[in-house]
Amino acid sequence: MVSGLAALLCFGMGWAIVSTGWTGGASPAERMLKLFLSAGYGLGAFSTLFLVLRALGMVSVPAIDVLAFAVLLIGWRLSRRLVPGATVVPAPGHDHPGWLRGSLTAGFGAALAAALYCAVRRTIAYPNGEGWDVFAIWNLHARFLFRGGAGWREGFSALIPWSHPDYPLLLPGAIAHFWSDLGHETYVVPAIIGLVFTISTAGVLFSALMLLRGRNVAMLGGLALLATPSFIEQGTSQYADIPLSFFILATVVMLCQHDASLALSAPWAGWIALAGLAAGFAAWTKNEGLLFLCSLLFARFLMSAGGKRTGQAGETLAQPTSFTLLLLSALPILLIILWFKRFIAPPGDLFVYAATTFHKFSDLARYRAIAKWFGKQFFRFGHWLWVPGSLLVAGIFVAWRIWGPQHRGDVVATGPRTGFRVCVVALTITLCGYFVIYVITPYDVYWHLRFSLNRLFLQLWPSAIFLCFVEIGVAGGQGGGNRDVSK
Amino acid sequence: MPRNAGSFPARLAIAVLIFVLGCLLSSARLVLEAPRGHIPDDVARRSDLRFASLKAALPTEGVVGYVGSPRDSIGYYYLAQYALAPLVLDHSVNHPLIVGNFPSSAPQLPANLEVLRDFGNGVLLLAAKDQP
Repeated sequence: MVSGLAALLCFGMGWAIVSTGWTGGASPAERMLKLFLSAGYGLGAFSTLFLVLRALGMVSVPAIDVLAFAVLLIGWRLSRRLVPGATVVPAPGHDHPGWLRGSLTAGFGAALAAALYCAVRRTIAYPNGEGWDVFAIWNLHARFLFRGGAGWREGFSALIPWSHPDYPLLLPGAIAHFWSDLGHETYVVPAIIGLVFTISTAGVLFSALMLLRGRNVAMLGGLALLATPSFIEQGTSQYADIPLSFFILATVVMLCQHDASLALSAPWAGWIALAGLAAGFAAWTKNEGLLFLCSLLFARFLMSAGGKRTGQAGETLAQPTSFTLLLLSALPILLIILWFKRFIAPPGDLFVYAATTFHKFSDLARYRAIAKWFGKQFFRFGHWLWVPGSLLVAGIFVAWRIWGPQHRGDVVATGPRTGFRVCVVALTITLCGYFVIYVITPYDVYWHLRFSLNRLFLQLWPSAIFLCFVEIGVAGGQGGGNRDVSK
Repeated sequence: MPRNAGSFPARLAIAVLIFVLGCLLSSARLVLEAPRGHIPDDVARRSDLRFASLKAALPTEGVVGYVGSPRDSIGYYYLAQYALAPLVLDHSVNHPLIVGNFPSSAPQLPANLEVLRDFGNGVLLLAAKDQP
């Protein structure tokens, strides 16, 4: 009973947040996208609320959750006065021949069934997660938050160095919030949260592609992610990499949604606000998320400067006000992170040996070794069988470019693409940031690469698939779904 | 609503089929390697049970020391820390109370430590001899 109420309130908070920033109709694709986004935003809100209460010396109880939900609902009702009436009409997916569409549907259905089967079996088989990081970092921090009472801060001590006490607390906070509402610990909570993030990430990818580029492109994109064994394995192992990939993907999707609203000449700032909040939640999930947030803001700043210089009209995303909105919507979460890093957590382990950093920067052999690992992992990180998924996605992208319908002289949809470009630049900077971290790592670089690079690639993989297939849709002339406006 | 008239390029259709088949290979790996029937040993839950009695004998918060066999993996320390949270285990014997964790070998204690209580399974509560 209580567990159901807590889950409902968590989802309800996410739904209220997403609905506040949302504009549009009630197509199946939109409903699906809202549903999956709400699950992740709800968990982010649950975690943040728990930490705020802990910081104020209060204990989380369902009554406070109900109050927070009511406040968010009021915010949603008030925001409806600002929403324009424009409705994004989902893109059609009609230009594939019937036999191909049938094969694609069957393939997607099989991959979905396989992914769900494996995810559920793994959740049952490893109810306490898989791998040392689960109990050495994530669930340990959740226990400190839940069991620690007023003394919860002691758990984030330098006395337990390998537990990475500087890691952000979205996942432990969400787990501790549920435990607090239930009044006891149960291994079911982290297991279910892992499963929810895994399913929601795939769901956001599929439904966003369906909305923006049609059902066929959505099935191609969904297939690429669902058939990535490591994605399912990591998602159910209760690490924070898949939750991070969810929030990075949500940011990217919201910025591309803003592009679509610009194409309607009905730009809606709510998409940017939701993107900023998702980027904030990414930063609250892992330190790599903080790098992504900084990369995103930098990329947006670059685009703003570029937009002003070239005097582009209509690309309102590149205006300084959009940059400010993105920053402002991430700011509440950013302030919590700064408070945590400044007053609770000891310094991170990557930056404690500053004296040797310069020497490492000037060691070319490190760059060569890391570049070699990056190249190798590009083909191996998904634990694919025989054919790397990265190669398959790259292959279909190139094939579409060479043989796609646009080469028959069909109309190729174009429109504002600033959000798309910002995302590509932000993800590229994030990837470069990962490279630099390996250059300066105080640990043995090969050991560090071996145990983390595949997970870092997975963090960006859903977003990379999304951007690839959004681009395919444009090149294939399927981007026209957002041209229709119903008022 | 713009539509793309005409047939779908045959070469692209083949590329899509190759893509689908390539993806399904890995989906097959997912199904074949999914754990079924046998539930793997759960070290974290076993560790919680192993330290349950010791946990009741320790203070509910603060910092205590920790000592284990140098041959054991650092993972045993984290399993102990996980089980005993929110108590913080300092990997040091410079504390009035020290948790001894020897899951795979007979305890070899430093001379300045005495056993206050043996909880079995290699779990010990220790104290420094010069402490009151």
